[in-house]
Amino acid sequence: MVLHTLSGSPESSAFADCLRLISPGDALLLMGDGVYCALEATGPYEALHNCGAALYVLGTDAMAAGVLERIGDITVIDIEEFVGLSEEFPRQLAWY
Amino acid sequence: MLDTAKSKRLLVIIRHSPYGSSLARASLDVALSAAAFDQPVSLLFSGDGVLQLMSGQQTESVGVKNMERLLASLPMYDIERVYVDAEAAARYRLDLSATPLPAKGLDHTAIGELLDNHDHVLGF
Repeated sequence: MVLHTLSGSPESSAFADCLRLISPGDALLLMGDGVYCALEATGPYEALHNCGAALYVLGTDAMAAGVLERIGDITVIDIEEFVGLSEEFPRQLAWY
Repeated sequence: MLDTAKSKRLLVIIRHSPYGSSLARASLDVALSAAAFDQPVSLLFSGDGVLQLMSGQQTESVGVKNMERLLASLPMYDIERVYVDAEAAARYRLDLSATPLPAKGLDHTAIGELLDNHDHVLGF
């Protein structure tokens, strides 16, 4: 089980490469430009939603980008909850 | 032989092209450092990272170190577990029989198992 953190936009190779290596049972946290992948009713969001991983978005970054009110079915977390996730998963992999 | 009880298995995931940034060199520096401390290291080339495995790289005219030669030297440093995302390799029509060092092609399922079999994963 891997905690993936994605900070690339939907058009980045980070997004495509992450989607390729993610497995059901993993968790994915969207942060930085990665929050744009959370936009509801977009292709990238649908792809993430179907990948089988638990989805999270960093609330502060989504708020900064102005997308917080437009995200799909994704759990919004803060930095402390991010730390909690990193304790829960033995491996973390950053996509940037 | 490596003492696996004390060692942490490290997987370095390489997904950037050889000369577009300093990430390619950085990823190999990390792998070589870990190997120098007798930590078992595996490499996975994925995405644009498979472009590092192109044969026939000639960098003399641009004045940068030749990544192909650097990669070819890795087995001398006990880095022999080298894998490549077969789908990414196919996308760039990479000839897996002519890579700078032997690399085993993996499908999506095998890549998932590879991640599960390592203690640490680092992405470059």
